[in-house]
Amino acid sequence: MRSKRILYHGCRLFLGGLFLYAGILKANDVAAFAGNIASYRILPYAWNYLLAAILPYVEVLAGGLLLTNNRVRASAFLLGALTLLFMAVLMSAIYRGLEIDCGCFHPADRTTPLAALGRDAGILLLAILTYRLRGKTSP
Amino acid sequence: MRRPGAELQRVALEAIIIAALGAVIGLSLHHRPILDAFSRPAPATRDSLAPAVAVESPPVGLAEVQRLLAAGALAVDARIPEMHREGRLPGAVSLPLEEVDTALPEFQRKIPAERTLVTFCSGYGCPDSFDLAVLLRQAGYRDVRVFEGGFPQWRDAGLPVESGP
Repeated sequence: MRSKRILYHGCRLFLGGLFLYAGILKANDVAAFAGNIASYRILPYAWNYLLAAILPYVEVLAGGLLLTNNRVRASAFLLGALTLLFMAVLMSAIYRGLEIDCGCFHPADRTTPLAALGRDAGILLLAILTYRLRGKTSP
Repeated sequence: MRRPGAELQRVALEAIIIAALGAVIGLSLHHRPILDAFSRPAPATRDSLAPAVAVESPPVGLAEVQRLLAAGALAVDARIPEMHREGRLPGAVSLPLEEVDTALPEFQRKIPAERTLVTFCSGYGCPDSFDLAVLLRQAGYRDVRVFEGGFPQWRDAGLPVESGP
């Protein structure tokens, strides 16, 4: 039981810290992030800005809630759903043969879509673990 | 025992509330660039030109610009000459949008139509690189790309910057 608790808190803190960090980096330069989203060529022009302004703060909020052990299941659910969405977008970029920056963390992040896809699979696992272990270790 | 579906429903509802809160914060902090983006493209000439360039010259990201330049593409600076002197992408030539009528013939003499061109200006607030791309296409350049992040994104990525006349 103890090892499960450690695993739970480890997953929760890592996932929360990761998205808090990613969110703050992107919130600092919303215009550059809009450019990263635009390079995926999925949304109409101005919608890239709308998403770029919203997404970092959703990540910061959910990451912060995870770090402070509040609304853990909801935050893990939200970040897991976001990660699934990112993976779908990355797959579409790979399928269309776009050679672009992933824009996952810093605007100048040079991660290729394929590497980002692998990383997102790990993040998705973290979110699932956090979600499931929350039910087993808390009252 | 509660139904497992009820728990999932509660979690999903909370997740939506968190996302909505994030949206409210983001929109209140960054409403200006969003409104700017939705009100663009403003000039009447751009409305008729924009669809053509959107199809033929899709914007390229920073990584692709670096690759294109390394492969021999020419960066074309649509900004005013003062900004061009202050700092630009290495090897970029100046072709300010407002001087294009007078400067284009000279540009065409020096740069062959086969050369890949990458236009840029002051980043995401700035439509000049798109307008210049349209004009360069009309002038016969076959491969014109738009670096939408422009000089600010290049500089902020810590890439080498050239300055001077």
